[in-house]
Amino acid sequence: MTTSLLLIAAVGVPFALLLACIVPAIRERMPPLLALAPIPALAAALFADDTPLVLGNAQYALSFVLDEPGRMLLLVAAILWSAAGAYAATGLRGATHAGGFVVCWLMTLTGCIGVFLAADLVGFYFLLAVLSVGASGLVLQGGTAEALRASAVYLGLALIAEAFLLAGLVLLALATPDGSLLIRDAAAAIPTSPWRDLTLVLLIVGLGMKAGLVPLHFWMPLAYGVAPIPAAAVMSGAVVKASALALIRFLPLDVALPDFGLPLAAIGLFGAFYGVVIGITQSRPKIVLAYSSVSQMGFLVAVIGMGLAAGDAGAARVASFYAAHHLLVKGALFLAAGVVATTGGRQLWLMLLPAAILALGIGGLPLTGGALAKLAVKPVLEDGLVELLAALSAIGTTLLMLHFLRCLAASASPDSAAAAPWGTALPWMLMFVAALVVPWMLYSATGIGTWSDALQPGILWAASWPLLIGAGLALGLWRWGRYLPRAPEGDIVVVSQPAMRVVVRWGDALEGVEGVLRRWPVAGLSLLMLILILGGAMFFDGH
Amino acid sequence: MPHSLSTPDVTTPGGLLLVLAVLVPFVGVLAGMVLGGRGARRVALATLAAGLAIAIAIADTLVRSGAAVVYLLGGWTPPLGVALRADGLAVIMLLAVAVVIGGIGVYARADFGTPPGVREARAPFVFWTLLLAVWGSLNLVFVSGDLFTLYVALELLTFAGVPLVSLGGQPETLRSALRYLLYALFGSVLYLLGAVLLYGAYGTLDIGLLAARVHPEPVTWAAAALMTVGLLAKTALFPLHLWLPPAHAGAPAAASAVLSGLVIKGSWFLAVRLWLDVFVGVVTLPSAQTLAALGAAAILVGNIVALRQARLKLLIAYSTVAQIGYLFLMFPLAAGLAAAQLDDAAAVNGGLLQAISHATAKAAMFMAAGLVYTTLGHDRIADLRGVARALPMTLVAFALGGASLIGLPPSGGFLAKWLLVSAAITTAQWWWALVMLVGGLLTSAYVFIVVVRALAPAPEGWTPKASVPCYQQVAVLALALCSFLLGLAVLCPVDVAGIGRAVVPGIGSP
Repeated sequence: MTTSLLLIAAVGVPFALLLACIVPAIRERMPPLLALAPIPALAAALFADDTPLVLGNAQYALSFVLDEPGRMLLLVAAILWSAAGAYAATGLRGATHAGGFVVCWLMTLTGCIGVFLAADLVGFYFLLAVLSVGASGLVLQGGTAEALRASAVYLGLALIAEAFLLAGLVLLALATPDGSLLIRDAAAAIPTSPWRDLTLVLLIVGLGMKAGLVPLHFWMPLAYGVAPIPAAAVMSGAVVKASALALIRFLPLDVALPDFGLPLAAIGLFGAFYGVVIGITQSRPKIVLAYSSVSQMGFLVAVIGMGLAAGDAGAARVASFYAAHHLLVKGALFLAAGVVATTGGRQLWLMLLPAAILALGIGGLPLTGGALAKLAVKPVLEDGLVELLAALSAIGTTLLMLHFLRCLAASASPDSAAAAPWGTALPWMLMFVAALVVPWMLYSATGIGTWSDALQPGILWAASWPLLIGAGLALGLWRWGRYLPRAPEGDIVVVSQPAMRVVVRWGDALEGVEGVLRRWPVAGLSLLMLILILGGAMFFDGH
Repeated sequence: MPHSLSTPDVTTPGGLLLVLAVLVPFVGVLAGMVLGGRGARRVALATLAAGLAIAIAIADTLVRSGAAVVYLLGGWTPPLGVALRADGLAVIMLLAVAVVIGGIGVYARADFGTPPGVREARAPFVFWTLLLAVWGSLNLVFVSGDLFTLYVALELLTFAGVPLVSLGGQPETLRSALRYLLYALFGSVLYLLGAVLLYGAYGTLDIGLLAARVHPEPVTWAAAALMTVGLLAKTALFPLHLWLPPAHAGAPAAASAVLSGLVIKGSWFLAVRLWLDVFVGVVTLPSAQTLAALGAAAILVGNIVALRQARLKLLIAYSTVAQIGYLFLMFPLAAGLAAAQLDDAAAVNGGLLQAISHATAKAAMFMAAGLVYTTLGHDRIADLRGVARALPMTLVAFALGGASLIGLPPSGGFLAKWLLVSAAITTAQWWWALVMLVGGLLTSAYVFIVVVRALAPAPEGWTPKASVPCYQQVAVLALALCSFLLGLAVLCPVDVAGIGRAVVPGIGSP
């Protein structure tokens, strides 16, 4: 009973706030509530058990459940949403037209929490659509022509991904016995489905696009680069994890499917390195962070892929843990990028030092959550080549994060008296503490390992040497980095422009043909032809 | 799966309601003509309310009895007499049309008032009487049980629809109206020719009796091909759509909503009746595939051409060309399911939902475009700045209607797509699923363009050309919400569409 209430409140409160936005007066007063809207979700993550919540009747029911991966991600996502909401409220103070931002924010929040909790196919798809539309609206809030382009690219790719997903979900529903629409049943039925391969390909392509797998990653730097800081924080932290969580839930991780797992891992690892290579040629902190997200999501997908290849059900837990850590850190670092840009002089190191700790944490800095995350996924990656690549990726990540810190320091306000307002600095500090502490709590609470294991000298050393190599490489980058070619933001999206011209030319041709078809003689002829074709189709087949 | 359509020999309880559903709008037409001027509007609005009540009563009777509602005119059974019969399909269409017409009526109250100081103005008088005539003819199409009554109903529908195109009276709208009339008449001739062939061969035009008598032979094939193509011409399925874009884009917004949302559904519904209930053993899978191939072409061409339009109303008109395509994808899916001895409900319900969700969404979108036109004084898509500020509710309605066309949950379009894609996969015709998904993406592109352009802030010092009454905006939003929330029909405990037909399982089961 309590669980039902908690789950209803988690999704219902942001949704109710969204509906309340219909009234303009309420909409304008909404910003201070943005930090509170995710609190019911936090309560649900802490206190709800795994009893499902079912709304509906026998023919169709919307169901929500808090499974282990969902609980981990919901907990950290609620913290990030709350901190970023407080940050956003500070930015919106005094703004005349906060309405659009608030509506998109609440829509994205509702979708995000909903997707983390959804337990049935249709509800999942619905909430994912809410999430995508809301998030593309958040990108649009940048207000510039680039924001419009980025938003269009984001929404376009999201909808293409959802078209793949819809086909996959229909196949899942058809293959699930007893007409059950629960994700759990559907995933369990995949190995015996008559359309197993097609279903897996559709799901992986759809979710992979949303997770930012190379080569369909270019929306990430475009979107995060133009979105307002708090929006970029929640999108790179929480929103993109929806697809990782969906991969974890939909793929039958307890059955070994190396034909799918290994290619998935290969694509993921390629993305992990690709993000680093392009990222070090960038100079804006937000863009560097976006490429770091490309890299980290690639790594996360590689973990899931290896789990699928080996039929290792434990991969679900460690992948969620890795995702939860990345969610906290990446969200925090985006807030840091906003705070540092308005800070100068003496206070700067106060903001930069925590950022340095978190950033290096992604590379596996000992004693940080990042080291725990790397340690947790180690058993899944225990394969000669993959283990080596994972270590190399840690080196690359360290290099990228050091580059980020350099760009971050360079982006600080030139005014030495400038200080970020408390309304933005405090959420950033809160996220810093959460990103340090929460992974340790989760690590032991979920039973991935114990603190004493994680603190053994051998393990600390294993986490340290990639950092040292990465630091050495970073020195080289700073010395000779100016000789590197500059990749445009969104790299391969540039290639698509000639392709667009071809598409437009085809559109011209098609419009011309349509014009011809609408002429009287042609239309009359079509009428007669159709009678013959239709009659013929019946005649020859009927005989 | 062939459906037993043998008409029971008795009028069922509530059968008289069917007569009322057809008669009340036409009584309204006559009363409007007699009273004229302002009276026409008053009569029309009163009739809309009464008609909605009748539609609800019929639905209630159907759900309570769980069987088709039947009325035998004069107590004579076919083939001697004429039977009116409403199964689940017909009742759902009756109800949907009553709701959409109601919404349009509320909206049109503002646009088609007789100006003060004039006893009677041409456009309002014609609009209100023809609105009722369109409605009565549609109801007759849904409940008629024989092919000749259906022919009459279709003709009434065409003759009521054509003048709606040229309400404005400008030369170019007159031209589009003539184009529409001429092409629709070709369609009527073909249909009538087919009906005559059938009568000659089988000696009856009653749907139930024909279904039992027809068998595959050249004369039946010829009749089926002639009647179907005639109906396609009236429905404007690509490539027979030459009349649709100028007619639907040139008419006043409320009239466009009637034409695009409702009138084309009449001939489509009849095609469904013929293919599923009359010619079920005659039509073949390749012929059904031909229809769907035209539908697929309509989806692709219509959507792409819509994307390239510079004016909002033309964009919406081309979007209708595309959406008509979806309506014809159900034919091979239903045939495939029937051939595999499976229930064809997924395909039939999918097509029906698509029709209703398009009717509500498209009516809302055309009326939204009308409000935009009133406010800005133009409907150039490139220059929609300020719409979001002047007409927030209308923009939301447009976006919700668009979401339904795209097929985002929980819209009716989503549920329709889910059912049709399921049917496509079950019958191993995955290419139709592909077309539907690609069509959704193209649709999202133009909906996005319009919404983003409308969201752009207005230039400094800009004021709307005219202000629109709030109730118009509410009517548009209400219709859009109907479409957007139609997917929740899956929560409905009774499967209404299946009554009088086969048993229908819900979403998720093949």
